[in-house]
Amino acid sequence: MKTNNERSIEKVTQPGTPHFVGDGFRVHNFIPGTSTMQRMDPFIMLDYNSKYNFPATDKPKGVGVHPHRGFETVTIAYKGRVEHDDSSGGGGIIGEGDVQWMTAASGVLHKEFHETEWSKTGGEFQMVQLWVNLPAKDKMSPPKYQAIVNSEITKITLADNAGEVEVIAGDYQGYKGAASTFSPVNMFNLKIKKGAKTQLSFPANYTTALLMVEGDAKVNGSTNAPQDHFVMFSNDGESFIVEALNDAVVLVLSGEPINEPIAAHGPFVMNTQEELIEAFQDFNTGKFGYLED
Amino acid sequence: MQLPNFKKFLIEKGGLSEKEFVQITPFIRTKKIPNNEFLLKSGEVCSHSFFVEQGVLRFYALNEEGKENILQFATENWIVSDRGSVFFQEPSTYYIDAIEDTLTVLLDEEFVTNVVNINSRFRTQNEKLLQNHIRHLYKRISLLIGASAKVRYLEFVSMYPDIMLRVPQWMIASYLGITPESLSRVRKALAKENFKPQ
Repeated sequence: MKTNNERSIEKVTQPGTPHFVGDGFRVHNFIPGTSTMQRMDPFIMLDYNSKYNFPATDKPKGVGVHPHRGFETVTIAYKGRVEHDDSSGGGGIIGEGDVQWMTAASGVLHKEFHETEWSKTGGEFQMVQLWVNLPAKDKMSPPKYQAIVNSEITKITLADNAGEVEVIAGDYQGYKGAASTFSPVNMFNLKIKKGAKTQLSFPANYTTALLMVEGDAKVNGSTNAPQDHFVMFSNDGESFIVEALNDAVVLVLSGEPINEPIAAHGPFVMNTQEELIEAFQDFNTGKFGYLED
Repeated sequence: MQLPNFKKFLIEKGGLSEKEFVQITPFIRTKKIPNNEFLLKSGEVCSHSFFVEQGVLRFYALNEEGKENILQFATENWIVSDRGSVFFQEPSTYYIDAIEDTLTVLLDEEFVTNVVNINSRFRTQNEKLLQNHIRHLYKRISLLIGASAKVRYLEFVSMYPDIMLRVPQWMIASYLGITPESLSRVRKALAKENFKPQ
């Protein structure tokens, strides 16, 4: 029975057949795969590399030079290490527990590979890449990076020592996330111990979903959310309850829809078809800069 | 099977009405080609023209050293074929393979006749497509003979706006008749000219 302010579950999606992005990311696509960009607004893409063992190699695997314009890419490293470079001269390493929040905005070229040292031994790799849309007024703003190392992420202990919440972005009970965002976005790692339960609450109109990164949970008392599944909520209430069936890590996403037209093609997400054509022209004629493969 | 691109093609370029498109639907035959697989190999007689509904094909020859020389890419809405082999029923000296998982619509004389029986204007429209193809080839030859690598590249990306994201650089260099290093130099020079960091 649905309680008064309970947010019900729209659907639970199991991970689909994985595909490779480049040769370094073996991902299940949940957004827009399970729904549409419009429905998931402001979360317009989510690729999930569930745990996968990459063998040792001297030649790091990854994705070669490619552009982005019109949104932000958020990379959350759960296992493994990724190094990246871009056309504005930026670059760095995303280690386990770290988050890289890249505002592509007016455009960058970048490439992402398994870290050279990590590649030499290989091992278990698990990562999320999420695209967060930008409001029209910010789509052509200058690109920037927020390299958020795990030690900078606010961590709140749950009552009764039930676990903790890492606030990557947004607001958890008054505690602010490490990342700044252009529109209201909440992004938490909920690390919850076996048997414990906790309630989360977001405005009803916020697009809200869970990714079961580790372990299994029961949501709203009755729905099973097994490991690697994606839980999409309706907009009929605010709060929901997550109960861990074993020690679990849950990526919690909740953002206010931007509610602007979306014109998307490949790595460009704009508002109109004309802006998309311009993005391709700008990319082809070097306006995103240059980055060696 | 939904074929939005082919439908649009027959209506906009072929002069058919929505109703006529429905009438020709029973005659449409499609073929899926997984990435890296062939539609045509040298020595075979090419049976069809291939309309690309979704995906990317390339049409190429091998030189005496086994190097691939790419004559044409076919992304969505392009038609690719060894027209000479089809028309004269002689073995092809070319290859057509897929660079992405590709869905094609098979075009041949029988299909054209079926469409013409429904709308006779299609005969002229089909002729126009052939003439357009010849015009495109003239332009391509003159660019290869006379234009700088930069001009060739810019012509190429205006014709295939999203192809830089779908096809490896070395294939693009092959199409342009330049080395991959020259292609890098052209792109670097364009970036130097046009990139204005904010």
